[in-house]
Amino acid sequence: MEFDFAVITDHARFLASGVGVSLLLAVLSGATSLATGFIVALLRLYGPPWLKPAVVLYIDSMRAIPVLVVLVWTFFALPIVTGLTMPPFFAALLGLTIHLAAYAAEIVRAGIESVRPGQTRAALALGMSRSQILLRIVLPQAIVRMLPAFGSLLSITIKDTAIASVIAVPELMRQSETVAGQSFQPIEVYTFAMLVYFAMLFPVTRGVDLFYRRVAHLGRS
Amino acid sequence: MTLDWGVVWQNRDALIKGTATTILLTFATMAIALPCGAVVAVLRLYAWKPIRGLATAYVEFFRNLPLILVVYWAFYVLPILTGFGVSPLLTGLAALALNVTAYNAETFRAGINSIRRGQVEAAMALGMSRVQALRRVVIPQALRRILPVLASTWVSLFKDTSLVSVIAVTELAYVSMQVRAQTFRVLEMLTAMAIIYWLLGYPQAKLVDWIQRRYAVTE
Amino acid sequence: MIAENNSGGRAKGTGATIIRYRGVVKRYGAFTALDGVFLNVHAGEVVCLIGPSGSGKSTLLRCTNGLESIEGGDIEFEGTMLPRDERALRAVRQRMGMVFQSFELFPHLTAQQNVSEGPRTVLQMNQADANQRAAALLDKVGLADKAPNYPSALSGGQQQRVAIARALAMNPDVMLFDEPTSALDPETIGEVLSVMKKLADEGMTMVVVTHEMSFARRVGDWVAVFDAGRIVEQGPPRQIFDAPTTERTRDFLSHLGWSG
Repeated sequence: MEFDFAVITDHARFLASGVGVSLLLAVLSGATSLATGFIVALLRLYGPPWLKPAVVLYIDSMRAIPVLVVLVWTFFALPIVTGLTMPPFFAALLGLTIHLAAYAAEIVRAGIESVRPGQTRAALALGMSRSQILLRIVLPQAIVRMLPAFGSLLSITIKDTAIASVIAVPELMRQSETVAGQSFQPIEVYTFAMLVYFAMLFPVTRGVDLFYRRVAHLGRS
Repeated sequence: MTLDWGVVWQNRDALIKGTATTILLTFATMAIALPCGAVVAVLRLYAWKPIRGLATAYVEFFRNLPLILVVYWAFYVLPILTGFGVSPLLTGLAALALNVTAYNAETFRAGINSIRRGQVEAAMALGMSRVQALRRVVIPQALRRILPVLASTWVSLFKDTSLVSVIAVTELAYVSMQVRAQTFRVLEMLTAMAIIYWLLGYPQAKLVDWIQRRYAVTE
Repeated sequence: MIAENNSGGRAKGTGATIIRYRGVVKRYGAFTALDGVFLNVHAGEVVCLIGPSGSGKSTLLRCTNGLESIEGGDIEFEGTMLPRDERALRAVRQRMGMVFQSFELFPHLTAQQNVSEGPRTVLQMNQADANQRAAALLDKVGLADKAPNYPSALSGGQQQRVAIARALAMNPDVMLFDEPTSALDPETIGEVLSVMKKLADEGMTMVVVTHEMSFARRVGDWVAVFDAGRIVEQGPPRQIFDAPTTERTRDFLSHLGWSG
């Protein structure tokens, strides 16, 4: 059995464009999930009481349904409901956000709840208002505490972008499939793709870890 | 837009079989990944140094890969490694087990490491041997930390079984999308698929919450 | 019921009454934490609250600035009832400084920023003035050189002194201390107590929940002994420590090994 990795260099540009799309999709859906997750968590914690059950239902439903199912539904079924077709990339961004925002919301909520009540009491004793306390005292500490969890969420996001291949988003996984199918050299192509994904994911995991160790004291009350 | 929800009922047998396969895959994967994860964790903690390095490399590698890629990779590599054709179901099972074993190994390792040194020292000061200390003091405490993580790994695994649909394992996701392709009832079938996953996954997610509350460690 | 005190021997008892507790009742579910507390705090006075753990001293302090609501009786601050309305309560809290057992410095802010945070956000003071005030107060508690440090780099005693400076930065009329030395290593207790003594000497009105009997005796003008949510005895320190009139006080002091 022989391996010929020339197939990689032959399709270098094509595969590189896949890496670009993967990273773009990861960064964009990471950002939108984070922003949405913050809003969802704040609604769950401080929103009107009638909204809370709906928020909890949404979060728990996303924890129950596979991301593949959300992506496929968003791309194929949602246009039937809305009458609007979406390009695959946009559908993937939407689907990933719907799914990951629920996880982000749980991280944010846990972070906020982990700040000791004594911190709020101390701020109240100074005469600060509820919103001042949230913005100036609780959130800055909570965000530091959330960092490790955000790190793993980012790495989950990168991994989940690979699932967007099933709705034909031309990211690395999809491009690899294409090259593997054309060249009949799936082992070389998929092994290479593994190394590339590892090279994208490992620094994220480690980098967040190192960064957190340097700032952890800012969140430790 | 006319909807025909009858299609879901007409294909109930296939859907039920797919659902059974999804559940079977979840149980089978965990049945493999629990003992294997424990072995890898022990190797990582106590084995001869090169073995330790190998175990660490395995865990780090598979935790930093998209599962869907591992599934494809296994699909092409397993036949070559084993020399004979492997069914999609076994291939999917192998890919899932490789992935979940790595996660479980990390869970076990972190659980054991989380027990403070003083606990072992205190046990040995009572005259226990190292093995006794591990069995009677460290592991019972570590389990409290490990169980909640295993529970959420379980739910992730349940959902991740959907990814083996890409190599035509006839589990719930694959079956639903097959029926969709045959009947063109896209909205109905995809919604039915989502609802079945929800019905199965929602109680599991709630159970995880309960376990996490029940075993919350406060020190 | 313990009668409202107007007994003799109250050195600074002539000042205006700053805080007046009248029959304060606080319950947590079925548990009664405060069971009708009567106490007056006069201007310039140091009132020490002593008694066994769980007897209600800290609860009374937290009710004083409305961190806890009360179920019965009332609390008067500077002649007006403590408001229930959140906004009005905030205005009252600005005039009471509070120091916590566990410091509760804000970990994401430096010592200087901790002290200037109140003036900046609550009093809307400009940055330069707030910094100046913070620097002066850190100097006052002997920590001018620690201004740029984060709390994680300070010892317990230093953190508590920053917390005192933070409370003083609001120019409060009264300072509430909730067991300020209970979480400290023995060797740093002294530095915190001496800052408190200095404040007392400057005429600050203080309510201090403490287990430091020598502080209560030396610095206190008035001592109230708590037991099971009530004040069982109150009077000048000499009376409490040398000639306690109730069995509960004698019990409590002898448990501590207090020998007069």
